[in-house]
Amino acid sequence: MAVTDTRPQDPAPPRARAPRLWRSTLSGSRAAAPLISFGFVLAIWATAGALQIVPETIFPAPWSVWSATVEMWRNGTLQTDLAVSLGRAAIGFAIGATLGVTLGLMTGRIAVVRTLLNPFLNLLRPIPAIALVPVAIVWFGIGEGSKYFVVSYTVFLTVWFNTHHGMEYVPETYLRAARSLGASKLREFLTVVIPAAAPHIFAGIRLGVALAFLSLVAAELSGASSGLGFRLQEARQYIRTDRMFSLLIILGILGATVDLIVHRIGQKLVHWEQG
Amino acid sequence: MSDMMTGRVRIEDLVIRFKGKQGETTALERTALELEPGTFTALIGPSGCGKSTLMNAIGGFVAPSEGRITLDGAPITGPSAEVGVIFQQYALFPWFSALGNVRFGLKQFGLPKSEEVDRARAALAEVGLSDHADKFPQQLSGGMKQRVAIARTFAFGPKVLLMDEPFGALDAQTRLVMHDLLLDVWQKHRATVLFVTHDVDEALLLADDVRVMSQAPGRLIRHYALSQSRPRSFNSANSDLLEIRQEILHQLRPTSALADVH
Repeated sequence: MAVTDTRPQDPAPPRARAPRLWRSTLSGSRAAAPLISFGFVLAIWATAGALQIVPETIFPAPWSVWSATVEMWRNGTLQTDLAVSLGRAAIGFAIGATLGVTLGLMTGRIAVVRTLLNPFLNLLRPIPAIALVPVAIVWFGIGEGSKYFVVSYTVFLTVWFNTHHGMEYVPETYLRAARSLGASKLREFLTVVIPAAAPHIFAGIRLGVALAFLSLVAAELSGASSGLGFRLQEARQYIRTDRMFSLLIILGILGATVDLIVHRIGQKLVHWEQG
Repeated sequence: MSDMMTGRVRIEDLVIRFKGKQGETTALERTALELEPGTFTALIGPSGCGKSTLMNAIGGFVAPSEGRITLDGAPITGPSAEVGVIFQQYALFPWFSALGNVRFGLKQFGLPKSEEVDRARAALAEVGLSDHADKFPQQLSGGMKQRVAIARTFAFGPKVLLMDEPFGALDAQTRLVMHDLLLDVWQKHRATVLFVTHDVDEALLLADDVRVMSQAPGRLIRHYALSQSRPRSFNSANSDLLEIRQEILHQLRPTSALADVH
């Protein structure tokens, strides 16, 4: 935070400073905090690797994982897999989120649609995405279609559920205010109901992003010929634990980065929903 | 002036019941009431007596179980911009700035953007918030939020203005400021005001007519017509006001309070 206050400020009493300094060093500033945690875990991992407590094929050392990553990068599979997987996740997510928001707005607003669909959709929600993979393969083959289906289906249900609930919790006073301010139904919907539900919708979208990766890898693990999930499966066949670790870490970084971006965008768009 | 002629609210044989888990409960006993155009009526009564219910019925949020409510002869069938509402919890839209909130109420006129903005700015200036037009509600204090709400409602010129304990969430000091401000704005716009409160002093300082409601199920039990000039205060020069205050406080004191404890 940039505080541009030029007025002289009382210096804190020196005695109070020492413990505060110590505490802030340990917990780190906000940006550095994750790095400290990663460094800590990496140090333990490296020590365990150097001491060779566990065989490399079971739990490879950090440097083996690094060289496996470089290897996959050099032979070009990593770039292709990343592009393929990200593309599938993005397309699946876009389809699922669009349908989810649209239908959520409808079930939240239109009683007939709600009566017809809600019980059924709620029944679908507990079915794990991975259980859909065999069906998706039968329907769409092992090409892109089945991946899009599994991802968009998973994303859809989560986004729908959150959107629907966001619509249910639109405070009554907002609606009353809107009506007594002479708003038409359409304007009320567009400028009151949707913004009021927006924090929930965004929570759903953020969950949807996480689930997109989850279900994508589930879909790629069986019946695919490219993608990060497929590469994981392939690494298993050759017992390349180092590659597996590399791919898992990449999936983790990818998911966390995308989540952060979505979170930031959400904060910008629903700026009033802070703290 | 034709302005002064509109805004007559007539409540005829109104009864409001709610269906609850334990069958029907009467929220409002048979009530008749007429609000003269351009007058300021305070409605006072113990909590849960049905004063908010009466207000919600005039606002069109609650349908009458019996009887009817008319505005200038036409039955009120739902919320409309003829009846403005100011809520205790402000009900400002947090995704709009103060200006955006005021503009929301002006959209119904389909004005050119510049005119809409000008009118909204003028409304905010009237409540002393010119410098805060671009702030969002969450950046404003409680008193400022309620000023935005007042500006938002007066800006589109409703015939009737309902206020449900609008200053209930504010501290005593801010309340006094808001009283002056409200009277000021009201005297300019002259809507028919129904002001629900449980604060006797507030009612006596603001209103032309003070209506007292009984405990639930609510009935209107007393009417005081006040002609004292505003701004009013409680001092020896206003001994009649002090007398009325004593009387109302006495009426509101729950005689069955001890019985209720058991």
